[in-house]
Amino acid sequence: MIAIIGAGPAGLSAAAAATRRGEEVIIIDSSSQLGGQYWRHLPSARNDSHSLHYDFSKAQKLFDELLSQPLLTRYSNSQVWQAEKCGDQFHLYILRNGVEEKVVADKVILATGAYDRTIPFPGWTFPGVMTPGAAQAMLKGHGVLVGKKVVIAGTGPFILPVATGLAESGAEIVGLFEFNNPFRWIFNLHGLLLNPSRIAEAFYYLKKLQKHRVKIEFGKKVESATRSSAVVDGTEIECDVIAVGWGFAPDVTLAGILGAQLGVDSDGTVIVKVDRRQETNILGLFAAGEATGIGGSTLSMIEGRIAGGGRGGLSRWRAQVFANGLKKVYPVPSILTKNLPEETIICRCEEVTRGQICTSIDELGAQSARTAKLFTRAGMGLCQGRVCGRNVSEIVADHLVQKVSDSERIAGGQRPLAAPISLGELGDGLAKKF
Amino acid sequence: MISFTFNNQKIEAIEGMTIAAAIFSTGEKVLRQTRFGGDDRSIFCGIGICWDCVVTVDGVINQRACLIQVSDGMVVTS
Repeated sequence: MIAIIGAGPAGLSAAAAATRRGEEVIIIDSSSQLGGQYWRHLPSARNDSHSLHYDFSKAQKLFDELLSQPLLTRYSNSQVWQAEKCGDQFHLYILRNGVEEKVVADKVILATGAYDRTIPFPGWTFPGVMTPGAAQAMLKGHGVLVGKKVVIAGTGPFILPVATGLAESGAEIVGLFEFNNPFRWIFNLHGLLLNPSRIAEAFYYLKKLQKHRVKIEFGKKVESATRSSAVVDGTEIECDVIAVGWGFAPDVTLAGILGAQLGVDSDGTVIVKVDRRQETNILGLFAAGEATGIGGSTLSMIEGRIAGGGRGGLSRWRAQVFANGLKKVYPVPSILTKNLPEETIICRCEEVTRGQICTSIDELGAQSARTAKLFTRAGMGLCQGRVCGRNVSEIVADHLVQKVSDSERIAGGQRPLAAPISLGELGDGLAKKF
Repeated sequence: MISFTFNNQKIEAIEGMTIAAAIFSTGEKVLRQTRFGGDDRSIFCGIGICWDCVVTVDGVINQRACLIQVSDGMVVTS
């Protein structure tokens, strides 16, 4: 039995490849539907035309195949909170609709994906400031517009489909800001030329945005926010939503819990290290998709297929060249975490400011992000540092005039639990069902 | 349509919507106030990572409004 964790492009491709080979598969996902974040869509009871997706046919094909696949068991609304390897088998502890249960598997494929990377700025905790992924999830998953006047900013190709989807659905995009210069692609042309479909996709969004008279401005970012405006380049823009994202951070928690080797990618994100067959250093534990390095849905599907026992071939190399180009064209400048005002909140959960983090170094003698965390509780809240961890490390290192080491980055990706669980849920294996 | 209450306000929602989506569809954004500063918070990551949107659902604290689907008669508070 193969357990696949995550039902996005990588997880579904892995499930299809494995079941085609006659393997029994269980796919575990936190959502009620297949598709993950990338192929998020309206509940089946509501008619979704998929007009917000550039190309939904690949997803539909996988859904159709897998939903009629007798070898596949689906665990939806389920989260793996703990995992361990016992002999040759993996024990996965799952919270499913508020009930705790155990799944035993011979092989595990981690396809846990990624989430938006965020960087603090003054005002970023106001309601209405969110990630582009949040705005996208509300729209694609529920048909709900997060606001009427929206500013979208940050870096990376993802802000284009988010802006397009919101504009097409009736929001006014009052500002679209890409921090990096697109001419950087000139130095990474091979990545584009090997993947012409990605150029076509970009032009599809640009054309739609032009129709809605949305112009992209380059080299600008949201400097601060008030409850009803964003300040960009010294100019105040009235809006009710600000969506800012700086690329993505892989979700490596379960790999870390199972003792798999983690590494640091060229963009500084912590990733799961895998070999050509997508296997980690733990026998029988595989990882595919964004968890092994941010590369987009095409690469995720190919990696998933390989992890499921299928073939990759040249297509993997092409998609990998594109992924490498993305990291070079859309870097996140380190200046963003420097010179933030003292009162800016860095850890949203525990409400810790930059000033408190610096005080823990200057007055309490913190010598690292770890000790600063112990003094201030930055990174100790419900999200367990998923949002602030990397920023706290950068701020501490900057204040100490040091660089963040790879081992410190990797330590930041290690968490003892993959999701909080109440003692009630743990004790009787039963909690309130919603 | 189903209905639930959020801080004693009745809200109508389409079945399958998350608590956050149902509340946002009314135009409201504030989901809770923070423990120390008492500051308003809303959804942030929208996909269950950041835990900024936690609310109390039928008496159970720390539930992510962006993940939990509304059900008829549910009682949600900040």
